[in-house]
Amino acid sequence: AVPNMYVCEYLFVNQNVSSHSNSAIESAIGGNAYQHSKVNQWTTSVVEQTLSQLTKLGKPFKYIVTCVIMQKNGAGLHTASSCFWDNTSDGNCTVRWENKTMYCIVSAFGLAI
Amino acid sequence: HRLQGNDTILKCQKTFNNQIPKHNSKLYFFFCFKKYTQIVKDRMRSSSHEVHGTEPMDDESFAEFGKSEIFTLRTSMAKIRYANTYKMEPYRKFQAHLVRNKAQHILTQRLQETKYNGATSSFLCNSISEEILTAVKDMGFDRYKYVVTVLILQKTGQAIKISSRWVWDVARDNWVSAKCETESFVSLALIMACYYE
Repeated sequence: AVPNMYVCEYLFVNQNVSSHSNSAIESAIGGNAYQHSKVNQWTTSVVEQTLSQLTKLGKPFKYIVTCVIMQKNGAGLHTASSCFWDNTSDGNCTVRWENKTMYCIVSAFGLAI
Repeated sequence: HRLQGNDTILKCQKTFNNQIPKHNSKLYFFFCFKKYTQIVKDRMRSSSHEVHGTEPMDDESFAEFGKSEIFTLRTSMAKIRYANTYKMEPYRKFQAHLVRNKAQHILTQRLQETKYNGATSSFLCNSISEEILTAVKDMGFDRYKYVVTVLILQKTGQAIKISSRWVWDVARDNWVSAKCETESFVSLALIMACYYE
C-alpha cells in the first residue's frame, strides 16, 4: 500500500505531460520538413526528451513513451490502445502534432508503482 | 535439527520418568503435545515474523510456561492477517514467447484476409487490442499490468517510424511486438507488461 501523500492522480498531471510532450516535439522537429535520413534521430530525441522530463517530475511512476512519425501521403493510420491497470492511479496522455509534411503522435503511459 | 529432536524427546522422557505412556491414551496425547510445543519453541527462537492479529488461547497446559514463551507460542499458532508477504517476484513470470505467438496468431487470424478500409479500420483496431488484452490476461501471469497498442497503417508508399522508450524495472517488466503485413496495409501490435506489487 502506498501512503496517501504519494498517491497522485496521473490524470491530474495530464496537462503537464502534454505540455512536456509538445515542447519535446517542437524542439526536435519544429520547423523541419520530413527527411528520411533524419527521422530516426527525431523519434529517438522526441521520446528521450519526453521521458527525461517525465522522470524529472520525481513521481513514483513507471513510464512508457511511444512516438510515431509518419510522412504525409494521404495514407490512413489507426491506433488503438487497451490497458489493464488501476484506474485510480494510472493514466495516459496522447499528443497529436502535425505540420505540412508529416504527422507525429506521442503517447505517454504512466503506471503507478 | 535431528539433535534438537532427540533433545526434546529426552526432555519429555524425563518428565515422564523415562516411560512413554502408551497404555494411557490421555497421557500419551499430552506427551505428544508437550513434545510438539517444545519443538515449536526451539524453532521460534531461530525465526522471526510479524503478526497482526491473534486468536484467544485458553488451554490450561500453557499455565506452566513463562510469559514470553506463551507469547511466542501464541504467535506461532495464531491466524496471520494482513502480514507482509515480502514477495519480490511473481509466481508466474511474464513469458514473452508465449505472448508473441498468441498475439501473432490473433493478428493473422483477423487481418490476413481483409483489405484496408478507412471506415472499419478504427473499429477493427479497437477490437483487436481488446482481444489481445483478454488473451494476455487469460494467460495468468500474476501481478502484471498490461498496455496493448495496435496500429493499422495503410500502404501508400509513405515512410513511417515508430519508436518507444520506457522507464521500468528491467528484471521483471517486458515487452512483445507482433506484425502482420498484407498487400494493402501493415499492422503492428505492441504489448507491454509491467510488474506491480
